[in-house]
This record gives sequence, structure tokens and C-alpha cells, in this order.
Amino acid sequence: MHTLSKEAFNEFVDNLIADNSLDVVGVKSKGEKFAFGPLESANQLRLDYDVTLLPPKKYFFPQRETLLTYDVASGFQAKDPKESKFKIIIGVHPYDIMALLHMDEIFRETKSDPYYLERRYASAIIGVNIENVSESCFASSMGCATIDYGYDLMLTDLGDKFAIDVGSHKGADLLNKYAKDVKKAFARDIQAVGKKKTEIINASKQKFNFSSELIPEMLGKFYDKDGFWENHSDQCLSCGSCVLVCPTCYCFDVTDNPELSLKKGERTRTWDGCLLEDFAKVASGENFRNTRAARYRHRYFKKGKYLFDRFGFVSCVGCGRCSSNCLPDIANPVNLFNDMYSLSLKAGFQIDSATIPDISIKTDSTIQFAPKMATIVKKVPMTSNETMFEIKLDDKTDLGHQPGQFVQVSVFGVGEAPFGVSSSPTNKGSFELCIRKLGNVTTKIHTLNEGDKIGIRGPFGKGFDSEFLKGKDLLFIAGGLGIVPLRSLLNYVLANRKDYGRVMLLYGCKEPRELLFGEEILSLGERDDIEFKATVDWCPEDEVWTSNIGVITTLIPQVDFDPQKTYAVVCGPPIMYKFVIRDLKSRNVPDDHIIVSLERRMKCGVGKCGHCQINQVYVCKDGPVFNYSDIKGVPEAL
Amino acid sequence: MKPKVAFFDFAGCEGDQLQIANLEEEILDLLGQVEVVSFREVMKEHSDNYDIAFVEGSCTRLQDEDRLKQIRKNASIVVAIGACATIGGINSLKNYQDTDVVKKIVYGENAHLFDTYLARPIDAVIPIDAYVHGCPITKDEFLHVVKSLLLGKKPEIPNYPVCVECKKNENVCAFEREEFCVGPVTRAGCNSCCVNEGTKCWGCRGLVDNPNENSQKEVLVEYGLSVDDAIDKFKLYFGWEKKK
Repeated sequence: MHTLSKEAFNEFVDNLIADNSLDVVGVKSKGEKFAFGPLESANQLRLDYDVTLLPPKKYFFPQRETLLTYDVASGFQAKDPKESKFKIIIGVHPYDIMALLHMDEIFRETKSDPYYLERRYASAIIGVNIENVSESCFASSMGCATIDYGYDLMLTDLGDKFAIDVGSHKGADLLNKYAKDVKKAFARDIQAVGKKKTEIINASKQKFNFSSELIPEMLGKFYDKDGFWENHSDQCLSCGSCVLVCPTCYCFDVTDNPELSLKKGERTRTWDGCLLEDFAKVASGENFRNTRAARYRHRYFKKGKYLFDRFGFVSCVGCGRCSSNCLPDIANPVNLFNDMYSLSLKAGFQIDSATIPDISIKTDSTIQFAPKMATIVKKVPMTSNETMFEIKLDDKTDLGHQPGQFVQVSVFGVGEAPFGVSSSPTNKGSFELCIRKLGNVTTKIHTLNEGDKIGIRGPFGKGFDSEFLKGKDLLFIAGGLGIVPLRSLLNYVLANRKDYGRVMLLYGCKEPRELLFGEEILSLGERDDIEFKATVDWCPEDEVWTSNIGVITTLIPQVDFDPQKTYAVVCGPPIMYKFVIRDLKSRNVPDDHIIVSLERRMKCGVGKCGHCQINQVYVCKDGPVFNYSDIKGVPEAL
Repeated sequence: MKPKVAFFDFAGCEGDQLQIANLEEEILDLLGQVEVVSFREVMKEHSDNYDIAFVEGSCTRLQDEDRLKQIRKNASIVVAIGACATIGGINSLKNYQDTDVVKKIVYGENAHLFDTYLARPIDAVIPIDAYVHGCPITKDEFLHVVKSLLLGKKPEIPNYPVCVECKKNENVCAFEREEFCVGPVTRAGCNSCCVNEGTKCWGCRGLVDNPNENSQKEVLVEYGLSVDDAIDKFKLYFGWEKKK
């Protein structure tokens, strides 16, 4: 450990500021509060602050940032993640350092985020031990009131000087280059720092009545607790303040912003929050987290259980910002968890700390935000609302998808939307999407014609395991638009027909004019290697229908199958699953013989933005195809 | 062919059209995309042949309904601009009093010469395709809506409260400055401009789809307002929405 007198420290900071290759920011006062901002002089620093309005996360994952620019003439150009200046952030409290370490894991996992990580590489963190603990801080309960790593330099105010702990080569270099009169710390300085850290830990006014290690286990017992979440969230304004100020929240939204010429524009990502009403709403209007209580609960589960199960840490550092920013004062985790704990004691729940799951964080590649250019080569109207688009990638490569996977389609200026691929991967050279006119992207795509350009990202997600299904009897059950992803597998199976056992297809839609892939589907009835039944919910007088009338479940009793040999592959509107699965189970189909494909609002496609999350599961990454036995315990799934 | 646009005003201050007239550099780019055929604040000419109608002001008289219906008939897209047109605006303050009393206050002895009824937003009279909220509107949001319409896209208008933008802008909460703010129930999209400037939100963009009004009232009372004063905070702009 080293020390710097206050004068020498100010000189050190002023030297950093004077170097034009550096971008120096630090904690300054803002009204009665504090905020990180650009420093013009060391005198502006307020290292005695209690908590900043926003965490330093904003420098790595800003409120709004450009991901790419586009030009209708030349396509998409990803923004270069390289930063022009090296950033020094002065005055980061230990809990915010811990929060950045959490964010590092999250942004590194599976597909790493180039923008976040580049900014982390091109920065140094000069931390400071807390001088004044805020009213709502509970960092000591989360073990984050002090920290021994994660910083480049760590300051402790010792009155006339700062003790400085060097945490990295970067930190040492900064001291060597910009500071003068750095002294070796005396034993009494080191003791003073230790004493101060103990005082900080004891200074929290907000405390859990239990060990924070119990949180994941305790939450697990409270998911459906009668009225618990409703009572706590009754006053929720759905204003999102708690999540927007959180140092470990990372949900985002992505939108296109055209210039007035409409020919050029940029795609930006902005902070979003799972507490906001429309966060889990899809284009069809369905909102998968429709109540204040469900959204409120999701926040606690995401931080306290889902991220724990994924990474091995409860993603809360006890900064207390959620609590101090909640006007109705319902966001304080200390109140909620203490309430939960005392109810647990009363109910006699046995709560042991959860075992940390096996964690392996794999980073296989970087997120590609820029789509590949592609051309619509064929446009075939299917119904008044649905059109089939055949698409070729301009680089002449195959999409390389598995049946059941989806792609993100970009329309210049309008944005991106996910679609299941409806063609079999055995069709080379192009692929097909069947698109229903519902929201902005889908409406715009319908105005495009053969030869027009779109952008494609993907394929994403987990598709059907066509290898595993070999030799099995297959029962396809499709409702409405659900035929689209199933067709990809069905056509694959038909192209490799001898590899599979019996193939049965039950297909239902609202009325005859809504039947998709009309001729192709109806011609299946003439094949003798597939058993095909179709139904409509009703048939208006001006239409013709000679087959079954009734909802999709009325077809299930009409097929005879061996439940032990058969795998049911189900896709349809959200309401359909419950009834189809009930009827399959009553026919003794085992849970793990039921395969479903789910629809959610996939935005980033790589398990980051949070929109498609159902409890702990990301539909874009873990799905959209799921084995029913894996998600029957996921309450928000079906 | 460039779409033809026309501007119309009803009961209002025409401040929203003034915002558009003040677009400065962007106005040339805008005129590259649309042809303005009627705009009383900046030109003498007028034509009834238009595709997009921008309507400012609230409807406060029965006879104004015919003019609105005619605009609806002429235009393929009707856009309400400004709080008076989108939510009834501060004109709706008069809705809290008896119409005869209001007429007396404004017109005195000549009150019998004037017609008026409850002030209302234009979507209370005709169906509307898009909204540009605010009192006054901001240039940025006006351009956002225009660009969306030109792209054939439904303009995305936030359905979350102003708090979201305040947090992103790292504002000190108005309540912390002892101001009484209705941002927690007011539709965002203004980039929290009033709070950014050190004041509070008055609610000019109207309520979000599902405001938690009880909670907002309790917050106002918690921070020191009487219940009546708290209810008053909802009157300035939410007059029509509350009467519904």
C-alpha cells in the first residue's frame, strides 16, 4: 500500500486531466446529490459522497448508443467498438466495482458484447472507500461494502492523505506516470485503512436479518406465495426507476432512427426495464408479464435467483439506489427480503443456503449487431394477412439453420423483428419466411417486392433435434401461424422420409381462408407416408370446408398412436399449449416426448436484452424449441 | 410524388404550429419530403387536397365537429398535435365548472352570443392515426412522427412514465427538490425536458395507458400535499381523461 498527500493527489488528478489522450471523469455534486461527470479540475471531486444518482455503468453501457449505421444504397455498417480515448473513472465505491464485475460476466457470456467490453478494456477504475454511507445502503448485507479486487487503484481517505492500494498494472502505471511524491504506507496507515473498512461495514443502517446466501433458496419457495407479491407491488407506478438506476441491470431495447431523407439512419440501443408495462409485449398484443405483481416479482427473481443459477452470484450489490429512487417506497430489497424471511420462519420453512450451480461461462464469439444484406427473390401471398417470402443472402452463402431456429429481419428505418424459418435446411441457396402482418416491421415487409433488400441476422436459438428424432414416430400439432416453424422440420423429415417412423400432422386454423401453405399442405393428404388431418374453428357461409370443424384438440382423438414411440411437436398461439398438452398427457404421452416451440419478443437474439425471458429461460438462446419436461416447471412459459 | 400536408387549428394557442414553423435547418429537409398545401402561420395559399392533416387545438363547440369530420374525410392520415388536440389540454380546465358560469366569466353580458361545450381532444370526435403529444410539441418528436408516417410505420410513442427519462438523464428527482411532480403517471417522450431544466412535470403529455393514480396521490400526500391539492395536480392537463 502507498500514500499520497491530499495536495499530491490533487496534482495527480490534475495531471491526468491535462493529458489530452485521457478522458477523466469523477464524482461531483449535482444539486444536493452526486453524479459522475467530466472533470475539469481535481477540486471538483467530491470523494466524500454517499451515493451517485446513476452508477458508473453508464460509461460502459450508456443510456443510448449507436450500434450501426445504414444506408439503403449500401447496407449496414457496424459501429467500430474502438474508443478514441482511454477513460479514467475516479471515485467508484466498492459496491459499484462489484456491480461492474457482475456486468463483465453477463456481457461476456455466450456472445460477448463488443461495445461494453472495449470500453472496459479502455478504462481504469480508481475506487474510493465509502466516507459517508447513504441512508438506503445495505452493501454490507450483500458483502459489497468493501472490496479487495476489481479496481486499478483504491483510495481510502486518511484525513491529510489518501492511502492507495494498487490493484493492477494499469493502476501502477498511472501512479508512476502522473503522480509525484508517492510514499510507501506506514504500518499505522495500513491499520487505519483496515479500521476504516470495518467501520464502513458496521455503518450500514439497512440490514438483512439473515444471511444473503439464503436469498436464492428463499425466493424459490415464494414464487407463488399467496398475495405476497401483490401486496408488495400494489403501489408500484411501473415507472422503472428501480431498475434504471440499478448498477447491475442491463436490459435494453433497439430501435431504428432514420434521417429525414429516409435513405440513411442509425440503429440505437437504449436502456429498458422489465418493470415497464410493455416490456414483455409482443406484436400480436399479448403481454407475457401483464400485472404489476408479475413484473415486480420478475425483478427480484432475475437478480436473486435466475442470475444466481446462471452465474453463481446474487446480482445485487446493496447500493440502495432502487430504494431511494422509489417514490412509493416499495422497492427496498431489505424490507422485502426481511418480510420474506420472517414469513418463512413463521411458516416453518427449512431454508439452507443454495448450492452454487456448476458454472461454465463460455464465450464463443462476439455479438454481430450488423445484419447481412439479403434480397427478396420471391413473394407469394398466402392469405389476406400472411405472405411467404423467399430470401437469398447477398453473399451467396446458405443460411445454415436447423429446423425451428429463427432469424432477425431488418427493414431499413423500421427496425428488426424475429421470424421462424419456414423452409427446410435441405433447400439450398435460399430460405423462406412466412410473415403475418401485425406490427411495424411485418407491415412494412408486406410493402416490399421481389428484388428489394432486407437485413438478416442469425440463425438464432435452439431448433428441433432432427438427429435425435430419427426412427421415432412424429405427431405434428400446429395451430394457425404455428405451422411456420413446424413446416421447416416437417419438410426436412419428408426429404429424409426413410429415417423417420410414422409422420402425423394435425393442423388447425380459424377458418378456411386462413389456411397457410394451402395447396402444399392439402396435397399432403394424397401422400400415403403421412397421416394428415386439418380442422377449422368455424366455416363462414361463403367458404367451403369438407373436413373437421372444431378446435385443434378435436383432432387428437382421431389419431391412433403409440405414446411410447411417438414424439409430439407442438406450435401455435399461446392459449393452445395448455389444452393440447393436457390431451396428450391424457393419452399417456410422457412429458419428455412433447416438444414445443414458443413465441416471445426476441430483440437481441443472444440472451442479453431481457425481452424474451420467461423466468430463468431465454427463449432466443435456450429456445424457441423446448422439451416440455424442461419447461413444465417454468411458470411463465405456457 | 410527395405527400401533401395541411395544418388546421381549433381551440388552442397555435404554439405547436409555431414549433414547426421554427424548425430552421430541418424545414428544408422536411420540404424535400412533403408538400405543404395549407399552413396559416406561414403561407396565404390553401387547398383542400391533402393526404396528411395535422390538427392543433381541442374541440370546444358542436359546430367545430363538422369541420373536423370534413378534415377526416379529406385526409388519409390525421395527426393530432399538441396537448389540446391529443388530450384536451388546459382548455379542459373549464370542464370542472358549469358551462354557463364559464361563459359568463369569459364573455360577461354577451355570453348568450357564444356557443361552447366540454373541451375535448379531437379523437373524441373523429378517429386519429397518430399523436404528437406535448404543450408545446417538440420539434424532435414532430419529425419522429413525420418520418415514421412517411416510412409507413406507426409512430412509436412511449407507454411509460416520465420517470424513465429523468433517470436516464440523471436528474435529481423533483420531489427531492420539494416540487410536486406528476411525472410518475405522465406519458414520456419529451425527454423529461421540464425536469431537466430544474422544474417539474405538469403532465402535458397525458396519462400512460395504465397509470397507478392511487399510488401517485399517496406519494403527493406523503410529500406534504393535502388530498384536495393532490387531486388538483391531476386537473391541469388530465381534465378530459379524468372525466371519461
